[in-house]
Amino acid sequence: MKKIRFFIALMAAKLARFLLKLLGRNASYLPGEVALKISKDFLGHLKLPETVICVTGTNGKTTVSNLLTSILAKNGYSVTNNSFGSNVQAGVAAALLADSNIFGKSKKDIAVLEVDERSSLLVYPYINPDYLVVNNIMRDSIKRNAHTGFIDYIISSALPEKTKLVLNGDDMITSNLAPQCKNRTYFGLDAEKPEVSEKPFLSDIVYCPECGALLESEYLRYNHIGRMYCPSCGKKSPERDYLCTDVDRENSTFTVSLKGKEHTFNLINDNIVNIFNFTGAIAILSEIGLSVSQIEKGFSQSEIVKSRFDTLKAGKLDVTFIMAKGQNPIACARCFSYAASIQKENKLLLIDIDDLHDNINESESTCWLYDCDYSYLADDSISEIIFTGPRCRDQLLRAVLAGVDKNKIILEPDVSKAVDLIDTEKYKDVIVLYELYRQPDADKMKIQIKNLGEGTK
Amino acid sequence: MKIELLFPEVCGLYGDAQNYEYLKKSLPDAEFIVTDFLSTPYFFEKDPDIICIGSMSEEMQRKVLDKFRPRKDRINELIEKGTVILATGNAAELFCEKIEYITEKKETEGLGVFPLTAKTDLFKRYNGKVLGECDGIEIVGFRAQFSFIYGDNSDCFFLKMIRGDGINKESGFEGMRKNNLMCTTCLGPILPLNPLFTEYIISLAGGSEKAAFREEAMSAYEKRLAEFHDPKVKF
Ligand SMILES: [Zn+2]
Repeated sequence: MKKIRFFIALMAAKLARFLLKLLGRNASYLPGEVALKISKDFLGHLKLPETVICVTGTNGKTTVSNLLTSILAKNGYSVTNNSFGSNVQAGVAAALLADSNIFGKSKKDIAVLEVDERSSLLVYPYINPDYLVVNNIMRDSIKRNAHTGFIDYIISSALPEKTKLVLNGDDMITSNLAPQCKNRTYFGLDAEKPEVSEKPFLSDIVYCPECGALLESEYLRYNHIGRMYCPSCGKKSPERDYLCTDVDRENSTFTVSLKGKEHTFNLINDNIVNIFNFTGAIAILSEIGLSVSQIEKGFSQSEIVKSRFDTLKAGKLDVTFIMAKGQNPIACARCFSYAASIQKENKLLLIDIDDLHDNINESESTCWLYDCDYSYLADDSISEIIFTGPRCRDQLLRAVLAGVDKNKIILEPDVSKAVDLIDTEKYKDVIVLYELYRQPDADKMKIQIKNLGEGTK
Repeated sequence: MKIELLFPEVCGLYGDAQNYEYLKKSLPDAEFIVTDFLSTPYFFEKDPDIICIGSMSEEMQRKVLDKFRPRKDRINELIEKGTVILATGNAAELFCEKIEYITEKKETEGLGVFPLTAKTDLFKRYNGKVLGECDGIEIVGFRAQFSFIYGDNSDCFFLKMIRGDGINKESGFEGMRKNNLMCTTCLGPILPLNPLFTEYIISLAGGSEKAAFREEAMSAYEKRLAEFHDPKVKF
């Protein structure tokens, strides 16, 4: 009976997909939802590719799964991937069924599935991934993700014992996930160790998960990311099997020690968060059997998705666009930190990070601003900040509370008017931080800035 | 004035920790005592004027209660004396009779200040907005929680709701109050979100200082207040 339901679900979903495609509509979610409506355990009946890799974690899922998909494809593998669609259960189902035949058997070699942490219980028990890559687990959307203890609980409860875990060994929460999975390997960073670790603005793990004593750290890069140990019971961050030992920013390369031998790869982007992502990607590619030269080739021909990080020259203006994940305090703070670190002086920041949907007949919860470290914006190299969007007054209050000089801040509630406030006489370097779902704003701003910089307006 | 901040390293989810920062900026001359979870709270033996505790994980709720339960009498003594105690998010639940954890099939005994029970279900996340009134001040806030509180709080509420749910979806009264113990399910940054309420708390503790960055805070507060009163804005 279950089998029959599955085939009905598969046919209905394939029909839905065909019709959506015919209408030129997005088919990366709805067919999956149709299938799951008819057959709840639809995912469990699919004949999956030979290798199934899932990617999860708070920050970097999309970057890693895009990169894996692109490197695998460059090396001749056929890949099922959902990164351009949805990463919840229906998105995973839609991606898998799109690449399966009428019997539900996959036509691809490998599946690289980005899985939202909260979908763990709806995905892993059905597809039993061969590998799970976890970049990090940290504070995320208050509304959806609650706290890291909750995320740890659902991922750990959902994973079958046989899944091999590829974990960030420099994240004490991630490295302790799912103790039932004995087959685990760790990646991390030794390059550019901070000499002094300041007390992080916030940390999602403070006490030893084994004995409850206060954890100490050899060093911390940001939040709880770094090397920790417990002086009481001896618990410590695990040894890393894949270790980034050097980053050469000038020549855009990074070195990773793979099973004791060092290899150099093309550095696609030099943000520290991405160097973790890249090292994690190398770890999983190596685990599934790609040779070093295959991985090197993949990195040499890859670039980070343009929409996440882009630069633009407009007359005298040098403009950097950085996508920031709103409602996600640590990801956003990372973007602030990065914006403060690039281009050394007299720069202007234009910040458009209010949630799009939560401000249409809504009023966005701004609690997350208070978990986000705004003190990066007090950096001397930032001469002016334009906060734009419906919550700009809240942004101002948060920033001054974090020590940003209020005389440096300009507010413009109307996003379409924000670019007009850029003083091209005073500033050459402009950094635009925009929210994930505000890509259309960013696209419009690019045109406005081009006109402004080239004096055509 | 002495202000004790309890366990900010573990009871500071959802921006709660910045409530403290806002108080610090508002009360530059006050003495701030930050107590971490492994230390003995200052209030066990001495008398702070304000005590703050914020949102935490469910596991932490149980640990905090284990620490507080033996000092229930002292906590009641402070409440009777009129010490200002502000518990935000699920710290409010500590003062109920009992907390039930439906998903984990556990329950724990609370401090029993209010004859109420909190029930937590990790598979039911609730998000909401708060527009309510406390001693003539309109309070705006946000909620994000796995739990609701059940029982009758009509004679011990913190806010009389204007819009939004109370302690549960059927209730018109949010949070609990006894003397100056204020328990609210509103998340942490309730103070920077509400400069007038911040000044009210300070006055209850005997101060007369104004809220920090008053102009900026009032501008954000008034904008939000107008939105929350706007029937087009969904609650
Ligand atoms: Zn320990």
